[in-house]
Amino acid sequence: MTNTVSIEIDGKKILAKEGATLIDAARDAGISIPHFCYHKKLSVAANCRMCLVEVEKMPKPVPACATRVADGMKVFLHSELVLGAQKAILEFLLINHPLDCPVCDQGGECRLQDLSMRYGGTRSRTREAKRVVSPKDIGPLVSMREMSRCIHCTRCVRFCREIAGLAELGVVGRGGDSEIAAFAGRSVDSELSGNLIDVCPVGALTSKPFRFRARAWELCRRPSISPHDSFGTNVALDVKDERVVRVLPRENEEINECWLSDRDRFSYEGLNSPDRLKKPLIRIDGALREVEWNSALDYAAHALKSLVEAHGADALASLASPSATLEEIHLLQKLTRALGSGNVDFRPRRRDFSTDGHRSGIPWLGMRIAEIAELDAALVVGSFPRKDNPLFALRLRQLAKKAGRVSMLSLADDDPRIDLAARVAVRPSELPAALEAILRAFARSHGEKEPGSRVLSDTTAPYAETDAIRAIAESFAGAKKSAIFLGAGAEHSPTAGRIHAIAGAFARASGARLGFIGDAANGVGGYVAGALPTGLNAYEMFAQPRKVYLLHGVEPELDCHNPAQSLFALRHADLVVAVTPFVGETTLEYADVVLPAAPFSETSGSFVNTEGRVQSFEGACRPLGESRPAWKIFCALGRLLGLPGFDYASSAAVRDEILVSTAFEGREGVGEIGRVGRVGWVEGLDNALDEAFAPREAHPAAAGALERVSDVPIHFSDAIVRRAAALRETKDAAAPEARMHPTTLEDLKISDGERVRIRQASGSSGAFGASGASGETTLTARSDTSLPEGCVRVAAAHPSTAALGDMFGTLTVERA
Amino acid sequence: MASMKDVFKSLCLGELVSGLTVTARALFAPKATVLYPEEKTPQSPRFRGMHALRRHPDGTERCVGCKLCEAACPAAAITIEIAPNERGERRTTRYEIDMNKCIFCGFCVEACPVDAIVETRFHEVCVESRAGLVWTKDRLLDNGARREEEIARDLERDMKYR
Repeated sequence: MTNTVSIEIDGKKILAKEGATLIDAARDAGISIPHFCYHKKLSVAANCRMCLVEVEKMPKPVPACATRVADGMKVFLHSELVLGAQKAILEFLLINHPLDCPVCDQGGECRLQDLSMRYGGTRSRTREAKRVVSPKDIGPLVSMREMSRCIHCTRCVRFCREIAGLAELGVVGRGGDSEIAAFAGRSVDSELSGNLIDVCPVGALTSKPFRFRARAWELCRRPSISPHDSFGTNVALDVKDERVVRVLPRENEEINECWLSDRDRFSYEGLNSPDRLKKPLIRIDGALREVEWNSALDYAAHALKSLVEAHGADALASLASPSATLEEIHLLQKLTRALGSGNVDFRPRRRDFSTDGHRSGIPWLGMRIAEIAELDAALVVGSFPRKDNPLFALRLRQLAKKAGRVSMLSLADDDPRIDLAARVAVRPSELPAALEAILRAFARSHGEKEPGSRVLSDTTAPYAETDAIRAIAESFAGAKKSAIFLGAGAEHSPTAGRIHAIAGAFARASGARLGFIGDAANGVGGYVAGALPTGLNAYEMFAQPRKVYLLHGVEPELDCHNPAQSLFALRHADLVVAVTPFVGETTLEYADVVLPAAPFSETSGSFVNTEGRVQSFEGACRPLGESRPAWKIFCALGRLLGLPGFDYASSAAVRDEILVSTAFEGREGVGEIGRVGRVGWVEGLDNALDEAFAPREAHPAAAGALERVSDVPIHFSDAIVRRAAALRETKDAAAPEARMHPTTLEDLKISDGERVRIRQASGSSGAFGASGASGETTLTARSDTSLPEGCVRVAAAHPSTAALGDMFGTLTVERA
Repeated sequence: MASMKDVFKSLCLGELVSGLTVTARALFAPKATVLYPEEKTPQSPRFRGMHALRRHPDGTERCVGCKLCEAACPAAAITIEIAPNERGERRTTRYEIDMNKCIFCGFCVEACPVDAIVETRFHEVCVESRAGLVWTKDRLLDNGARREEEIARDLERDMKYR
């Protein structure tokens, strides 16, 4: 409990926390003090001098952002001294600040503009020439063209160093020559770089895609939830003429604070992409033609019904995107089950489904998002945190800053920009064994007997206990609050169940909490919606081709664990009904009916984020063309098929049914989960596995075989992001390369930069063994010391690698 | 008694005489009417007629697409779309004034930071449909080009009062 002190601001008595700065104390009391360089999430610089205030008995005005409160302090914000200081500071700032507000994108929402109007003088006394700062190019997202506007508050410099984790920007030069610049010739590649636009109080750092598009006062700001990562980041969509033209963060201390990842910020361009479908399409004489809604729905319903009757309900399989809303996933599974099929899933990138039916509840983060930074120790398994979920990485960075110990067991030594206590990079097949080695090291150091749990690997070779493994185990010793997070790499792995079980055993042994970072907005919501398969799961439905596919929001050629296999199955299906906002070239090849659905910005719905928080949102603008909210499409299909229970008046009615009803259809073996307890939170979250769980047999990779390490590049993660033009120009969106350790390259007698042909079995495969047909692609080989030997890192979810098979498997590399 | 007086007055046609006096005065007073269109009334340099967009002497557009006129317009008659031009400068791709809506208040002119949008002395507009009263960017620029000399002179004369 902190003590409070009493201070007086302009004669008004307020209570402030001891040790707080004046500016914070005033803000808490609802009094605003003008400032530029102060930012509540950044360190204090006190260089703009805008927040000068007068304090009794102090000879000179003092900066409120760098002055701590003291009991009995008397502060004056509007004395003659203060007003004079503010006026003088603004006059100083405007000496070199160009008066180009009419062409400045910040115009109308500029702090300098606002404060000049409020506190500044009315005319300039400057007759001298203004300084000119040369423009800089720091990448496709943030514009540094008008650096003459910079007032050197250094918020951007502090943001890069303190929040994004790497000092990509700095101040060069001194006095009148000081400039903000990136390292010569470098761009700013942080996945959080868009926040620079928000922290800049003037128009020096602005958004490139939004450049000269609209004025602040023309925009209609509507709250929404970002669909791209598992946190459910709160965003505000700025809408102009029924189009989203900008995305800004909506402050929520419990989720995203005031930050936003570039993926969430710039993905809106995808919403307006030319790929957006405006009218329903059906295949007539081999070609997709535009038709009216009623014909398309009639056709789809009729074809679905007759094919299900002809081939049996098991011939139907449905796959929803985990980024679809709770309501949509629920209606899709309801429709599929009503037609008699249990082949429904929402986890296209998963390979190992052995934990289905053995979980005690819905897998989740294991804690609230805000609790991450309060941990003492954390281990992240199989994740590239910065790329998988930038805001999760941000929380880990905060944790590391507070002297918590963060360690990583990953598939490649990517720089997470976090001060790590220890890290180990292993080949995908070694992941369970390495995790087990950590568990054994921990158990031994605590004088316990070897944890002989039967889930532990017996078929995989034990992993050598290295210093780093011991360091990870030690970081958990004595930690009061600790956690193990399983990332996308662990969840998509063919040994996901085994990793889950071992991580669970480690969590039990060390008293840590187990959590899943999650890879999509509705990773938890899909379970709540009851979209678990009772027949074939997301992998099997393509491994054992079906006659009829019902796809919602997924592009299986990019989104599935084995894209080649999925595409093969879809091409040979009798009927593929795709409910999607976008229609890509590949979709045109296999789809027979394409129904234009509205993306998240144009429909109402809910996402359940990885901490179990239900966040509902409304559409921000009207659906484009004739596209319709997907929940309405599923309702219409259900009614046309003569199925009961598809008469909903709104998406909220669907949500209430999901969250309030006690029994879900067809959730065999999953127990009674998914009810809302407190409003806004889902109940029944539990990462434990039951006693009967037996992990899927892992077929070890053949000795000497090259293992594929694959990640989903941040800007290819879902259909909307893939179509965002500016994000495609970033370094993160570069075409995949075949990255290998230098010794692996040497063994293959391939030199860095050479073109190589990659072959991988694309048919149904065992874990790390392979069989069946093979796909191939030609990529550039790159030497990469961050990877373990014997691995080839080939990104998934990209058209150039879609011909390959499983995300994790063995492949061959030869000179092209 | 009073009624007798009234009867006498009406017999002398007093009302008629006083009425005709007005007519007679107007008959010999100087004429205010002009023979439009051969003759025209004088105009103030601040006359608020049809709008024009101006160009710099080097031929480039003055308008920087700041959209302040659009924001200032009380009748919401101005529609502007902007995009960077080939040199990366902020320029309009569409600038329309719907003269059906325009109330010629001159707020757009006041708001303009670069003296790009002005109201000219031109007011004799004749169209066959309402659509003809939507003045596009080309039309506004054309109006400016035709009257640049006059516009510049009027602005010059008004300068000391601004």
